Amino acid sequence: MISMQRITQLLLLSVLGICITAAPSLALEKKSIILQWLPQAQFAGFYMAKDKGFYEEAGIDLTIISGGPDVLASEYLEAGKADFATMFLSTGLQRRGTLPIVNIGQIVQHSALMLITKTSSNIKSVEDLRGKKVGLWANEFQMQARALFKRKGIPVTIVPQSDSLDLFMRNGVQAASGMWYNEYHTLLSYGLDKNELRTFSFSDYGLDFPEDGIYCLEKTANTYPELCEALVQATIRGWMYAFNHPEEALDSVLRRMKKSGTPANRAHQRWMLKRMEDIIVTDKVPAMGVLNKKDFQRVRNALIETGFLNNVPLFPEFYRGPVR
Amino acid sequence: MEFTNTKNGDKLVVAVTGRLDAVTAPEFDTQCKSWLNDGENRIIADLSNLEYISSAGLRSILSAAKQLKTAKGEIIFCGLNGMVEEVFTVSGFASMFAMYPTLDDALAG
Amino acid sequence: MKRHGIAFKLTTLTLSCAFIILAAIVGYNYYCSRDVILRQSEENSRLLAHQTTSSIDAVLSSVEKVAQNIAFSLEDATLTKEEILDLNRRVISNNPEIYGMAIAFEPYFLDKEKLYFAPYHYRSAGRISFSMLGSPSYRYFYMDWYQIPKELERAVWTEPYNDEGGGGVTMATYTVPFFRTVNGKRVFAGVVTADISLEWLEDMISHISIFDTGYAFLLSRHGTFITHPDRNLIMNETIFTLAEESKSEQLRKIGQDMLGGDNSFVLLEDVAGKGERYLYHARLKYGGWALGIIFPKAEMFADVTRLSRIMTLIGLAGFALLVGVIILIARRITTPLTKLSGAAHEIASGNLDLKLPEITSNDEVGDLAQSFTYMKNSLKEFIRDLTSTTAAKERIESELRIARDIQMGILPKLFPAFPERDEFEVFASIEPAKEVGGDLYDFFFVDEDHFCFLVGDVSGKGVPAAFFMAVTKTLLKVVSERGLDPGEVLTKVNADLATDNESCMFVTLFLAIIDIHTGETRYANAGHNPPIHIPETGKPEWIPPLGDPVAGIMEDMEYTTKSLTLTPGDILFIYTDGVTEAMDPAQKLYSEERLMEHVETMNKPSAPELVKDLDTSIKKFTLGAEQSDDITMLAFQFNGEQDK
Repeated sequence: MISMQRITQLLLLSVLGICITAAPSLALEKKSIILQWLPQAQFAGFYMAKDKGFYEEAGIDLTIISGGPDVLASEYLEAGKADFATMFLSTGLQRRGTLPIVNIGQIVQHSALMLITKTSSNIKSVEDLRGKKVGLWANEFQMQARALFKRKGIPVTIVPQSDSLDLFMRNGVQAASGMWYNEYHTLLSYGLDKNELRTFSFSDYGLDFPEDGIYCLEKTANTYPELCEALVQATIRGWMYAFNHPEEALDSVLRRMKKSGTPANRAHQRWMLKRMEDIIVTDKVPAMGVLNKKDFQRVRNALIETGFLNNVPLFPEFYRGPVR
Repeated sequence: MEFTNTKNGDKLVVAVTGRLDAVTAPEFDTQCKSWLNDGENRIIADLSNLEYISSAGLRSILSAAKQLKTAKGEIIFCGLNGMVEEVFTVSGFASMFAMYPTLDDALAG
Repeated sequence: MKRHGIAFKLTTLTLSCAFIILAAIVGYNYYCSRDVILRQSEENSRLLAHQTTSSIDAVLSSVEKVAQNIAFSLEDATLTKEEILDLNRRVISNNPEIYGMAIAFEPYFLDKEKLYFAPYHYRSAGRISFSMLGSPSYRYFYMDWYQIPKELERAVWTEPYNDEGGGGVTMATYTVPFFRTVNGKRVFAGVVTADISLEWLEDMISHISIFDTGYAFLLSRHGTFITHPDRNLIMNETIFTLAEESKSEQLRKIGQDMLGGDNSFVLLEDVAGKGERYLYHARLKYGGWALGIIFPKAEMFADVTRLSRIMTLIGLAGFALLVGVIILIARRITTPLTKLSGAAHEIASGNLDLKLPEITSNDEVGDLAQSFTYMKNSLKEFIRDLTSTTAAKERIESELRIARDIQMGILPKLFPAFPERDEFEVFASIEPAKEVGGDLYDFFFVDEDHFCFLVGDVSGKGVPAAFFMAVTKTLLKVVSERGLDPGEVLTKVNADLATDNESCMFVTLFLAIIDIHTGETRYANAGHNPPIHIPETGKPEWIPPLGDPVAGIMEDMEYTTKSLTLTPGDILFIYTDGVTEAMDPAQKLYSEERLMEHVETMNKPSAPELVKDLDTSIKKFTLGAEQSDDITMLAFQFNGEQDK
């Protein structure tokens, strides 16, 4: 025989339980982040963190905005269209000159940027690029190449490269820019075999610039330090989950790509995810998300050297991310 | 025992070789009958190569002679030698039949 | 060797052969049919591909021509902006297959103020629309359709792309660079582009249907799927990403071949569980695209496979039938054979009256059964005859034995014959060659003073001779008792014998009558072997023949009597030709010479001794050869009157 007292107790407990479960959603901070390019596995960690509710657990109701060819991530920060943004370290450093942004977490520790040539063009070293046509992307993507050519004193003809590799495929340029996790595999997916391509990774030439990092306005970082930290940690969690559950991560990535109408195939994204793991997970840093001061300095010096940077941001000003 | 027949005018010359004994005597009888059937009734038996003759052989000679006699014919002998000659002599056959030393004598005689 | 019945052997062999034949037929048919189908499919796909690529090429080539013509006409520097715009619009209105055309100039080329000059006419909602391309957000200088012809200095087809404005329709652009002479130098001035929608292409290719699940697809220059029944692949995947995802090395290689330019017909391995498929690929002449036509192998060969399966089933059913029939036929043969075999065993064990199994089939087995019955009956008869013949033979043999006893009985066999008379001793022995023989001897007193002894040899041996012998002996005894001379005795006996002697049998005889007081011996010889006179002292001698012939032939023959005198101790030895004509295994005769020799070696033997010794000698000589003639010996020793 259940007593009235007991029933009342149970009722109270259930109501409390509902309130507790419901409570967190009321306490979520609405924030947005703009990813620097179109949806692809390059941002799998973010997608997983969102899909798996890691951001929510961190108290953030995060909206993910996709970037693309017409979108400049830093502009969104400036215009307030997004609270956070991802961009290359070199971009962030350069932009720091005109916009007070800070790095709250360094995700990608190594540079995946490379120059790709066909073995049939017999370019066996960067020196062989002398006088050849080299396709370079705009802005921050040129910094490492220009630094290399300047340091080595190699004159080349620079041809602006769009997001297509067609000119390179038709031998309009002898070397094309590419990300190891993206364009390299694209060429493989065009039927070129690995032995038909020869690559020159900037990371092999002292230009190993860490790339993707999470940025926000200094103001934001000052106002919401815990949130920033939580965001970064949730993102890291998202990345770890993606690496441990690649198929699930790929499903999520492909879903988003399809929704946005971006051409996608699983094989390419699979490659991309694996390569992201290579450049994200490393024992160079004590923990994910940490930016090495040495890397910061290297990039900064290279930018100054090539004239991309004129003011010199200080490390503690610039970096607000985890130390370990 | 073997027979070799040669016709010589109206006489049949029969050369008998081997042994004429109880085993071969019936053959001789048969042969004689066939000669008679063929119309031969003048037989010259050349026994130069007959090695042996037993009483059965003598009997068949007698029988042959008797048949020839009935057929108005005769049998004469030539070329007897050795044991056969002795037997003919002892048994008195030599005095019963015409005996010639050689075939030519028998043909002539 | 393990025993297998005929049914088993027949079944196994026939089935094996039938199986081999069936397998050969079905297999050959299957492979030939497949071959034919394959070749036909290849041929069909070649035709289809050719047809398709020709259609596509036709469109592409006409577009190319238009763009090239425009580009050529733009080399005329005298054209005004208006004229250019007009030209641009007119091209669109006159060429329905062109969706849009842009004429894009190098920066500041036409107008020093204007960075971009790129008029663009295009179809939209059934009308021709216009737009001027080029803005900070649309910096066309770095787009493929501008950059590639500029850098390569030749016309190209761009990679197909999805037109955002046109509602997701796949498009491709043909872009032609044009040049102008500036300051005497030929410089790149801009490009002319012609856009075409690939919707009609998708339509055409999707209508290609091969069997149930076959289809066609188109790859771009880099292997991207331009059309494919699976819409998810279009513009998303290349044939190489497909290969990568399915982990198929072969597919990657084929992709490279397709884009490399060969036309060929290849067998695709099973990828992602789709089964083996045949692919015919051909490269387009324009655009560098490649067409692939897929034939599902299973469907291609479905008919043949089904046919072969049915053929096999029919074959197997046939086998079952064959087995049944063979076993039936085999049984028809083996059952009667087994029955006959059993019957044969029965008969062999002695049951000749066994009724043989009824087998009436009109074939070899029936013949066998008939022969069997015939054989059984013949066997029965034969055994019956044999039994009766054997019985008859045994009867005759027993009668012969009795006859022998009788024959021997009539001859004096008791020796010494006259023990009380010392004046002489007589001993004789006779051994017929068969049970009964033709030799005879006798001795008896003619009267008180005269003793007669004789030996005879009837021509031949056996029963006929035995009869003659009995008659002769009896005659001789009877006639001798009259007291005649030996010659007269022989004459008389001969006359009786010669009468009614159809069989031409004759008998040789030697008869002697001795006066026991004086020893005077009268004798006669009818064609008999010369006896031996063995004097007490001196050499044994032959008693020469008298020239009288054998007895029983010539009725009127008169026989002579001769005489000689025996002195006491003399022996007269009489024998038949069984002695002298005894043969050893080499058919050598004992002969008179040996007889005489042996007799000469003996030293005053008694009559019995003489005979027995000679008997031994003869036996030693013949060495067990079959006795060819009766052997008879009689020895008479005269002792003279003895003083009592």
